[in-house]
Amino acid sequence: MEQTLERGRCPNCGAVASSHFCSDCKRIQPVRSNVDYFEFLELPRLLAIDEAALEKTFYSLSRALHPDYFMGASDEERQASLARSSILNDAYRTLRDPIRRVQYLLKLEGYKEAEKRAPADLLEEVFELNMQIEELKNAKKAGDEQEAQEARESLEEALTGLKQRLAGIDDTIFSLFSQWDAAIAAENGSGKTVLDDISELLSNRSYIRSLIREIEEEF
Amino acid sequence: MPVIELSMTGRPKSGRVVGIDLGTTNSLVAFSAADGPRVIRDDRGEALVPSIVYYDEEMKRLLIGEEARDRLITEPRRAIYSVKRFMGKGADDVQEDLKLVPFRIAADSQRVIRFQMGNRVFTPPEISAFILRQLKERASSYLGEEVVQAVITTPAYFNDAQRQATKDAGHLAGLDVLRIVNEPTAASLAYGLDKKKEGFIAVYDLGGGTFDISILKLKDGIFEVLATGGDTHLGGDDIDNRLISLVVDEIDRRTGRRIESDVAVFQSVRREVIRVKHELSSSENARIAVEPLQYEREISRTELEALMEELIERTITPCKQALKDAGLSADQIDEVVLVGGSTRIPLVRRRVEEIFKRIPHTELNPDEVVALGAAVQADILSGGSRDLLLLDVTPLSLGIETMGGVVAKIINRNSTIPASASEMFTTWVDNQTGIDIHVLQGEREMAADCRSLAKFTLKGISAQPAGLPRIEVKFLIDANGILTVGARDVRTGQEQSVEVKPSYGLSDEQIEKMLLDSLEFAEEDIKKRQLIEARNEASTVLAASEKALAQRAAELIGDEEQQSIRDAAEALKQALSAEDHRLIRERTAHLDSVSRHLAELIMDNAVLSALKDRKAEEVIGD
Repeated sequence: MEQTLERGRCPNCGAVASSHFCSDCKRIQPVRSNVDYFEFLELPRLLAIDEAALEKTFYSLSRALHPDYFMGASDEERQASLARSSILNDAYRTLRDPIRRVQYLLKLEGYKEAEKRAPADLLEEVFELNMQIEELKNAKKAGDEQEAQEARESLEEALTGLKQRLAGIDDTIFSLFSQWDAAIAAENGSGKTVLDDISELLSNRSYIRSLIREIEEEF
Repeated sequence: MPVIELSMTGRPKSGRVVGIDLGTTNSLVAFSAADGPRVIRDDRGEALVPSIVYYDEEMKRLLIGEEARDRLITEPRRAIYSVKRFMGKGADDVQEDLKLVPFRIAADSQRVIRFQMGNRVFTPPEISAFILRQLKERASSYLGEEVVQAVITTPAYFNDAQRQATKDAGHLAGLDVLRIVNEPTAASLAYGLDKKKEGFIAVYDLGGGTFDISILKLKDGIFEVLATGGDTHLGGDDIDNRLISLVVDEIDRRTGRRIESDVAVFQSVRREVIRVKHELSSSENARIAVEPLQYEREISRTELEALMEELIERTITPCKQALKDAGLSADQIDEVVLVGGSTRIPLVRRRVEEIFKRIPHTELNPDEVVALGAAVQADILSGGSRDLLLLDVTPLSLGIETMGGVVAKIINRNSTIPASASEMFTTWVDNQTGIDIHVLQGEREMAADCRSLAKFTLKGISAQPAGLPRIEVKFLIDANGILTVGARDVRTGQEQSVEVKPSYGLSDEQIEKMLLDSLEFAEEDIKKRQLIEARNEASTVLAASEKALAQRAAELIGDEEQQSIRDAAEALKQALSAEDHRLIRERTAHLDSVSRHLAELIMDNAVLSALKDRKAEEVIGD
C-alpha cells in the first residue's frame, strides 16, 4: 500500500518523518496534510476489519497521542497531540462502524455522497405508503381516532417490511466487503463494479431509512 | 551503616495539581497522595465547603462556605447559593430558578447573569471563583505550597458555555485549569483504580442541581465513555423545592397570609426541609418544625417519595437513551456506581437497581468520590501516572445553522473527544468579504430549538465572484469538551481570521477586567494586612518606649528629650486610631528614632551593671 500522504521533515531535528513520531528524536509530529483514516490506523484500504485488532490499535495510539500526556510539552507538541488525537478518534469512529467505513472508502475512491434513491421494486409500495401516511395525517387532523388507528396498523405492517428490507440491504453490502478485498488482492481492477454496487445499495438504504423515520414520526 | 537513600530521585518537585469538585450545594478539593487520592479537610475534619457566598452591605466582608450559610437566613438577599445553576446561562434561561431564590439579578443579564448585591454586580463565574479561591487556599495551606494548577469537574451534560464559565471561574480564582473533567467519569476513575477491572459500568450521578448518566467500557486501564446523558436542571434542589411548597402552602393556609415573599422565613423553611429530607433517608418518619411560625408536622418517607417520584422518574429516560446510544442492554452492565448526595435517597437506589438489575456500588462517599477522581486525573496530567487513561465524549451534538434555520450536525453526540470536523464555506454574492457561521449544540432539527453557542465571522475574504472563495473551517472540541474554531483559505493556504461572538458567557475582555477588579480586592486584602502589621509593630515600639521612660536610666536624658519621646508616643497613639498604615509606620519610625538615645543608654547601663556584677563575682571567685 502506498504511504505518501504524511511525509515531511521533523520540525525538531529535521529527520524525514512519516509516522506519528519522529523516528530519530521521537517527538510527536504535526499533521501535515489531509489524512487517510486507514493509514492513520495502520490498516490497508480493505473493508473486512478485525474489530478486536482495531480496538487494540485505537487504545495503543490513544496512549501514545492523548493530550493528557503532553501537558508539559512545548506548544507545538501539544498542538500536534490535540490534532492527532482528534483525527484518531474521528478515524476510529468512522472505521469501526461498517456502514460508515464503506461510505468513507467510497469517498476516498472518488464517489460522491450517496443520494437517497428508492429501489426500483419499491416504487409502487412507496406510492401506497405515502397515501397511508397522508390518511393518518388527515385522520389525526380530523380527530377520527378509529380511522387513525386503522392507518397506524397498516403502516405498522409496512414498517416491519421496510425494516426487514433494510437488514437485507445491510447483509448484501457486508457480503460485498469480501469481494472488494479480493479484488484489491487480485489487482485485476474488478473492484470498481463492487463499489458501484455498494454505492447503489447505500442510496437505497438511505432512502428507506428516511422513509422509516418519516413513518415513525407520524406515530 | 546507614542505608543510602534513593528516594530523593525522580521528578523534580513542581507545582502540585489538585482536583476540585465545584458542586451546586457543596464543593471540595482533593489531591493525589503516595497511597492514592485523598480529600483535604479543614481543622474540624470537614471536607465539604458549602457553595455559598455572602457579601456584606459595605462590600467589605466576604464570607464563603459554612460562615456564609448562616447569612442565608439573616441576610438572604446577600447570600448566593446554587450558583452552578446559573453558570453559562442568560436571563431568559433562569426565570423559573429566580422565582425560587431570594437573590435578584441586574438588568443586562441577557448574555451572562449578573447578581445584584448591594450596589455591585457579580456574575456566576465570579461567585464560583470565590468558592474556588477558598479551596485553593485550603489546599495550599494543607500542602504547604501554593497550589496553582487544578482539574475542575462539571456535569457530563454541561454544554460548551457552562464548561467555559467553569474554566473562567478557575481563571478568576487564580487557577490554571488544566482540564475540565466530567463528574461521572471522574467518579469512575476513583472507583476503577484497580487496573484489572474490566467490563461495562454505569455511573448514575444525582447531585444538588444536576443529573448525569454515563456508560463506560473499562479495558486495559482505559476508561472509554460510550455514551452519556442527563439533565443539567434536575437534582436535590428540586426535591427541596417540592417540600418547601408543601410546607409554605400549609403555613399560608393556616395563617391566611403569603409567607413566600418573606425571604427570611422562606430560608428557615428551606433549611428545615433539607434537614428532614436527609433524615428520611435513614428513618421512616420525621418531624418538620419551623419554630418562628409555630409550624409542626409529621412526614413519612412514603409521603416524601410520593412528592419526588416524578422527579426521580425523569432520570430514567436519559438512562435508557444512554444504554441505547452505547449499544448495550441493561443486563450487559457489569457494575453500577452511585454518585452525588441525592443517591442516598432510598427511592433513588431502588429505581437504579430496577433499571440496571444490579445492586449499585456505594462504598465510596458519594459526596467525595468526584473530587477523588479529579485528583486521579490531576495526577495523570502532572505525569504521575500513565496506567489509566480517560477517553470521554461530547454530550451534545454540534451543528451549524443552514438555510431555513435547519441545523446540519457536524459532530454527533457521544463522539470521543478531542473530536473535529471540517466544513467548506463560500460566498453567496460577488465581492462578499465576510461569512457568518452560527454554531449550535443540541439534538433538535431547528436552530431555534438548539442552544446557540456562538456566531463566528470569517473576515477579510478577498473580493471575488460569488462561490469562488473556498474557506475550510475546522471545528475542534478539545479534551475539555470546549469548542475552538479555525479557518483557512484553501486556495492560498492562509489562516483566515475568525471573529467569535459567544452567545452566552463572558468575553476575554470582560474576564480581564474582572481579573483586574479581583486584584483590586487582593489590594484591599493587602492593605488590611499591612494595617495589622503596622499596628502590631507600633504596639511593640510604644510598649518599649513606655517601659524605657519608666526606668531609672531615663533620668540620664534631659526633660526635653523625655518630652519629645512622650510627644512622639502620643502622636503614634493618635495614628493608631485611624486606618492609615503609612502614617502609623512613619510615626512608629519617629518614636523609634527619638527614643533610640535613651534605649542605648539603657543598654549601656545594663552592660555596665552586668560588668560590675561580673567583676564582683570574679572578686568573690578569687
